[in-house]
Amino acid sequence: MTLALERVSVARGGRTLLRDVSLTLDGGVVALVGPNGVGKTTLLRAMAGVLAPSAGTIALDGVAVRTLPPRERARRIALVDPTEPVLAALTVADAVGSARFPHHRWWEWEATADDTRAIDDALERTALTSFRTRELGTLSAGERQRVWIALAIAQRAAVILLDEPTSHLDLKASVQTLQLVRELAAAGALVVAVLHQLEEASAFADRVIVLGGEGVLADGRPEAALTSATIAAAYGVDVAVERRPEGLAFHRRISGV
Amino acid sequence: MLAARFALLAALVPLAMLVGVGFGGAALEPGALAHALLHPADGGDVATIVWQLRVPRVAIAATVGASLALAGTLLQALLRNPIVDPYLTGVASGAGVSIAVAATVGVAPILVPPLGFVSGLATSILVALLARRGPRLDAERLVLAGVSLSALLSAIVTLAIERLARGTASEAILAWLAGSLAGRGWPELAAAAPEALAGLVLGVATIPALNVLRLGEGRAAALGVDVTRLQWALLVASTLLTAAAVALAGLIGFVGLVVPHLGRRVVGPDLRALVPASILIGAALVVLADALARTLAAPAEIPLGVLLAFVGVPTFLVLYLRGAARAYA
Repeated sequence: MTLALERVSVARGGRTLLRDVSLTLDGGVVALVGPNGVGKTTLLRAMAGVLAPSAGTIALDGVAVRTLPPRERARRIALVDPTEPVLAALTVADAVGSARFPHHRWWEWEATADDTRAIDDALERTALTSFRTRELGTLSAGERQRVWIALAIAQRAAVILLDEPTSHLDLKASVQTLQLVRELAAAGALVVAVLHQLEEASAFADRVIVLGGEGVLADGRPEAALTSATIAAAYGVDVAVERRPEGLAFHRRISGV
Repeated sequence: MLAARFALLAALVPLAMLVGVGFGGAALEPGALAHALLHPADGGDVATIVWQLRVPRVAIAATVGASLALAGTLLQALLRNPIVDPYLTGVASGAGVSIAVAATVGVAPILVPPLGFVSGLATSILVALLARRGPRLDAERLVLAGVSLSALLSAIVTLAIERLARGTASEAILAWLAGSLAGRGWPELAAAAPEALAGLVLGVATIPALNVLRLGEGRAAALGVDVTRLQWALLVASTLLTAAAVALAGLIGFVGLVVPHLGRRVVGPDLRALVPASILIGAALVVLADALARTLAAPAEIPLGVLLAFVGVPTFLVLYLRGAARAYA
């Protein structure tokens, strides 16, 4: 499947954040990086079809995502936003079970065998099987993050959009989450993740898109996209990029040293 | 487990109704009561009391209780706020103003409930329009607009009682404020039932989407819920239900606020279970309370709204202090 952005502009609160972004995304793990407020989250929400771009079109396999009926859109595109507050009393099973809503018609209220399979599989892959009856309010940040990813898995969408999947996670939880993301891509999904840690982007993404100055500053394999020049352009910070076998390392250069 | 709890709740309603039919101003022999219930066409004093006074009254109490409980459950889920009451959207105070004005200028009593219904609906629409942000409803604005508009309208009602209405007119307004089913019968129920039924159907149809809304508006939208349509459907449903209840019984407090909490205690937060549970609890509660209101000080009646407030407020405080509100933290 192909998610194609054609001359897309996005705005928030009346202010245009990104202009004329054209991208073709057709598989693997794609990392969106860039400074705070550049419009990464807004672009992700536009890709998910929950927000209209202020100009241009976003199409999934040739069909504009905003024209898809909501449930059909949700069967094909999953959006994971860990920041929105949630009902603390909700159980893990309730939350992950909601992923099956788009697969039901409005009169279908009960879980089908397909639903049960999708939910069981998602819980197993996120190591949450023993957490079914736990309330979300009692989970750690890492566990809760796994719940949102389980929800995206149970949704069985071909496109998975993740907004900062590793924020607030410790090292181990981050690595586990990103490995899970890689598995999803290996199984055929297109995964687009907003990431803040450039090390994570370089180690786990097949492709990195650097956003800055209202547009795309760089787009390509991690070592091509994440250079001293593009990082300086995006963040205004002087960074030395070191190639290592396990990925790129970033060293901030302090003037005068 | 859940099935057993439902069986219990479902048994509660006919039991409460039997109590409601059995008790009242006139003491009836159990045998005569049973005979009248089983043979509605036989006629006689007992049959008249049962079929023309008590059965319609019990049916009205059940309708009012179920409507307010359902409206409260839907609004609390919509606004994701456990201290929301169905009167929040201004239905009751809107109805109150027209009832106060009607009583003051001397409109025919039969016209008062439909007038209350229409102005309650109009007030709710005004509140919704004030609460709009883009096409969607903003929960915070809805609460602010509802509370402030209600305060203004309540002040008008008070003014009507204070200055304009004399004698019977101000008594009629006060009776409405106190909430009562005295003197209501089949015609009133027939007038309000279609609105309540429409609200019920619309409300029940939203349940799966409302369950997803518990994850937050953003997630619900990403999961294929048309959040804007859901919000308006819920607002219309809860307004129809509340307006029907207000037209039937005046101001009955705390049912819409407390019953959803009781329901969550019994069956949990899944709306597929909570909605039917709230409907059953609400119906049983108001039927029982009305039976008490008729018998405690017979032949006089205690206003139903007053009685329910006496029971409802302490119950709510205990629940609240014990952390029931945590459900929507």
